[in-house]
Amino acid sequence: MKSLTLDRASFWYAATQSPALRAVSLDVAQGEVVALVGALGAGASTLLLVAADLAPRVIGGRLEGSMTRRDRSGIVLPTPWTQISGMAFTVWDEVAFGPANLGWPTHEIARQVNRALERLELLPLASRDPATLSGGELQRVIIAAILAMDPGLVLFDEPAAELDAAGAAMLWQLIRVLAREGKAVLLATSAVDALPDVADRVVWLEDGAVRAVGTPDLLADGAACDAGLGTSIATVWRAGGLPAPYPLTVAHAVRGRP
Amino acid sequence: MTGVRLHPFTLLTIAAVLPALAWILPAPDGAAATLVVALVLTLTPGAKLTPGASPGNASLWSFPGWRPGLVRLRTAVVTAAPFWLFLLLLHDVPTTIAIGLRVTTMVATFVWLVAALDPARLVEAMVAAGWSASVAYLLAATFSAVPVLKARAQRIVEAQRCRGLSPRGGIPARLRALRALALPLVLSALHEVDERALALETRGLVPGIRRTPLAPPPDPAAERAARWALLLVCLVALVRRFIVQPFS
Amino acid sequence: MIAALRLEEVSFSYGSVPALERVSFSVAPGERVALLGRNGAGKSTVVRLIAGLQRPDEGTVWVGDWDTRDCVPEQLAWRVGSVFQHADQQLFARTVRDDVSFGPRALGVGEREVERRTDRALEDLDLTAHAGHHPYDLPPALRKLTALAGALASEPALLVLDEPTIGLDRTLRARVTRALLDRSAGSVALLVITHDLTFAAETLERGVVLDRGSLACDESLAALLGDVTRLEPLGLAPPPVAALSAALDLPGRPVRAADAAAALARVARGKPVP
Repeated sequence: MKSLTLDRASFWYAATQSPALRAVSLDVAQGEVVALVGALGAGASTLLLVAADLAPRVIGGRLEGSMTRRDRSGIVLPTPWTQISGMAFTVWDEVAFGPANLGWPTHEIARQVNRALERLELLPLASRDPATLSGGELQRVIIAAILAMDPGLVLFDEPAAELDAAGAAMLWQLIRVLAREGKAVLLATSAVDALPDVADRVVWLEDGAVRAVGTPDLLADGAACDAGLGTSIATVWRAGGLPAPYPLTVAHAVRGRP
Repeated sequence: MTGVRLHPFTLLTIAAVLPALAWILPAPDGAAATLVVALVLTLTPGAKLTPGASPGNASLWSFPGWRPGLVRLRTAVVTAAPFWLFLLLLHDVPTTIAIGLRVTTMVATFVWLVAALDPARLVEAMVAAGWSASVAYLLAATFSAVPVLKARAQRIVEAQRCRGLSPRGGIPARLRALRALALPLVLSALHEVDERALALETRGLVPGIRRTPLAPPPDPAAERAARWALLLVCLVALVRRFIVQPFS
Repeated sequence: MIAALRLEEVSFSYGSVPALERVSFSVAPGERVALLGRNGAGKSTVVRLIAGLQRPDEGTVWVGDWDTRDCVPEQLAWRVGSVFQHADQQLFARTVRDDVSFGPRALGVGEREVERRTDRALEDLDLTAHAGHHPYDLPPALRKLTALAGALASEPALLVLDEPTIGLDRTLRARVTRALLDRSAGSVALLVITHDLTFAAETLERGVVLDRGSLACDESLAALLGDVTRLEPLGLAPPPVAALSAALDLPGRPVRAADAAAALARVARGKPVP
């Protein structure tokens, strides 16, 4: 079942002439993880704002084409410190901020908050003051805060940027778990090396338009490598002058070793 | 944390009544009295005696429990000082004292309120009293803006010092440093406003849904009565001052 | 030769929370060192100590022959260029060029020298086209490069960078790598905190790893990154190219993409692809 459908969606930010998105058609099904890749400014962040129903409704601008959603969405923005409410003196209260705003009964709020904290390995930090956390910890708190609102469609903009290796690995696994539970996940990331294990589909955006859509094998494509979007392994393979098809991951490379 | 935590509405009532009384009561005695109360208040939150430490044989500054209160007192005095200077330039001494005491009461009360009022508790109290969460958040955010800006200003000054800008030296150097601080402080805060609006929206802070109070602060009947009493005092003072003994 | 930076048995705690415990390492002029470890391992505290924003509780931080205990941050700015995390929010001039020239100007070098250093820093990071723009009109990634250019323009003997690649795509990261290699060739010492081990492998040569405030490891980055069994307990994951070298047992176990590509090409020539 489709959770999100964009049909020839174009978007202009307020007071700009050229569109940030150009006729993008895309859908994300429940239980599916779709990754957006592209150079900076290619439109991935804009697409997430449109999918979150924040653009143009909250930030202004103009949308042509259509965006339809079946589920309530939650979006994790790339800068965690602008997303904390500033109204909570503990991590637990910070994560409960969203669920409380939804007007849920107290026992349901507690259940969702505890579950989200556990999933992000934040229980030991539950009584800490959010203002004393590091960037990586804060990033996990914000992800927990969004998941505690139980959105059917989860949108992530560079969710691993602030995380260390263990935190990133935990997040990528969690995203697969969310998909298994039937959530639709749309994420923008420059961490292309993680995508073969995370994404069901990859959408390559270029200058606001969809350049290609496919399985993560897309990231071993020669053109993607040349655009700086190939996985490290595929890019090295190509740079070494070895013949295509290029391996996507270390495991693929070992199977087809030179 | 203080031992006794007043309800946020009680804190707001005190913060409204004190400056009002300062202006209503005849100067200089009335205003001097309100100022004393306000200055004592700046010392209170956090000024809890730590068990085991004896204030008798330690100097006031080395006694950690008192330190935040003394810093607040100093903030209030330093903030009010320029007003006195201006007043003295414009008025004679009795008028300066009369207005100066009143202005200082206002400043000291505000400094105390910012320290004593926990924005999260204010939101909870307002929501429990039937206000919409967005309105409550807006009001509470005003109070929490001060410490947030302070922390940010400190980060900017640190970064600038590491690029060679000294915040010390003569007045021109200090003015230059102040200007270098003001721009990024304001610009980055404005810049963040957009993103913050998005973040709050996505975290469910939208009109039309009744927020679940998580832990509404207790509001004992005694405190409610005290609030009404304070307002009544204010009203009586007003009547006495302007109707019973007008302009005496 | 005197080290650009030397930490001697440095301990530091925030109140009662220990952050660093008896940490010692040094960085020679022209050396490129990665400071690695989990979130909360004490890396950012090291930066604050070197910049003079904190004083060590015990031990000494030497910047050249200066003991940071005797210096305020604005003095240390003569020798240390530090770029903090989120430095992009601390730009304050009206144009990118003015912001980048702030450092050398604050240090009081002559106007012509200020111009020269500013031009060079802008060129090194391909920012010349944006020199006249307002910093806050640029996307965050370019603001981040502007902050880095500001540190380069001061031409310090030691550059200390906290997570310089967060939010940058591969093209911009390559720009940073190029600029840093260039400065290091001119004998500037580099200490870079990063979670991005692919960037570290391309740019840096030695790895100093902190684990819960203590020095866990100090050795060649190539040797460290190729050894999964040692990386994992330190909270690090091998970058893909290093993992590839290890898995295929490429000669010399290269960790940089260009070296790995060359090694692959040699192997492929010697042995036809099945």
